[in-house]
Amino acid sequence: MNQLREQFLVWGTIVDVDCSSSSVSAAALDAAMGSVITFCENVDRDFSTYKEGSWISRLRRGEVQIEDCPEDVIEVWDLCAQAKWLSDGAFDPWAVVGGFDPSGLVKGWAGDKCADMLVAAGAQHVQVNAAGDLSLRGGFVDSDGVVKPWPIGVVNPNNKLEVVKIYEITDGAIATSGTYERGAHIHDPQTGMIAIGAKSATVVGPLGWLCDAMATAVMVGGTDSVSWFGHDELLGYQVFGVNRHEESAWEI
Amino acid sequence: MKRALLIAGGTVGGLGAVLAITPPQLTSSDSINIASGAATGSTGTSTTAAASSPSSTAAKPVATSSATKTSKPIKKATPAANATTSATPTAAATTAAAAPAAKSGTFTGPAVFVNYGTVQVKITVSNGKITDAVAVQAPSGRNDRWTNMALPILKQQTLAAQSANIKGASGASYTSYGWFTSLQGALAQAGL
Repeated sequence: MNQLREQFLVWGTIVDVDCSSSSVSAAALDAAMGSVITFCENVDRDFSTYKEGSWISRLRRGEVQIEDCPEDVIEVWDLCAQAKWLSDGAFDPWAVVGGFDPSGLVKGWAGDKCADMLVAAGAQHVQVNAAGDLSLRGGFVDSDGVVKPWPIGVVNPNNKLEVVKIYEITDGAIATSGTYERGAHIHDPQTGMIAIGAKSATVVGPLGWLCDAMATAVMVGGTDSVSWFGHDELLGYQVFGVNRHEESAWEI
Repeated sequence: MKRALLIAGGTVGGLGAVLAITPPQLTSSDSINIASGAATGSTGTSTTAAASSPSSTAAKPVATSSATKTSKPIKKATPAANATTSATPTAAATTAAAAPAAKSGTFTGPAVFVNYGTVQVKITVSNGKITDAVAVQAPSGRNDRWTNMALPILKQQTLAAQSANIKGASGASYTSYGWFTSLQGALAQAGL
């Protein structure tokens, strides 16, 4: 079994990738990791709202239309539309001041792409942690050689050294949204007010982009968001929300 | 000569994690080696809630550039007879050859304007290692929220590495372009 773990700086944060393979060489994993890093750099180049020349920045300034953009940007645009519909508009990248901003979905989307690239390159066991949005494939192999689901802890928003819940994920994604680190950067698209639905919201499910978007949406909707999770598209998804004021949490 | 990020593992409670970061361009990717500390008990409760349906996204061929990486000071490829995913509790030291003389003092990075305010970071360095990082300017005057923000992600990584029961952590993390830009300016002044 060959294993490769790396952390790299991109998107203004740290991405941590762990991959193992019993079928391809360490050199092959190394090459695949290189492709993942390049992909992440390209995502930064194309999507960053901090980069004037990114496709998203140009879209926001009205210099281009979505039809002019590359395939990945169009894909993200379409996924944003799906998430907006599924969340009854609580997740709405078009309502962000300054124009379309898919930042609430891109990390989860990109994390899945990275994980799938590594699987395609021959890694059976993958964890991509993009600043708290994780994409998992194939579980992990423990010291006895047994394959187990990845046990992922949800950080306590009131004490970042604590884990308040553990999800065991073999294949899938988990995303957490919250205001406790960056301050109130999530707003309710309908009212413009700071999101008060939860102190932190974690969504677990098959698709990273959807977990990421819905975690952001739950920050707005709070326990009202339970109605969205009746959609067929969200049947495989779980939610864990930490309340703002009481030391309590709720789950779907 | 670039030096890689180093974190000395600490106990969960003590969190003596200190770090040294190379000041790369924000768009470049440098690998960072984070040491895992000794495994300690986790305070989390275990559930068997699982999302185990396979991802439905198709793996796309790598259409981006060739598989060459940007230069990386540190990476770990560990061929092993038995699979192992838990890192050994050794401090991962950087192996940069020409380390500059260790510096001490405080260094303040540039004020970086971001769309929600201005961020400016001040670091305290002792013998070439960062022992503190605080915001001297923070959006909306919320200084208390920004204290030690260089550490939260890394704390989570440390937490994940140190907990016997988890192999990753999900928590809301900031993606603060402003914080990292100002931090890197401070690091450059400190010669780190």
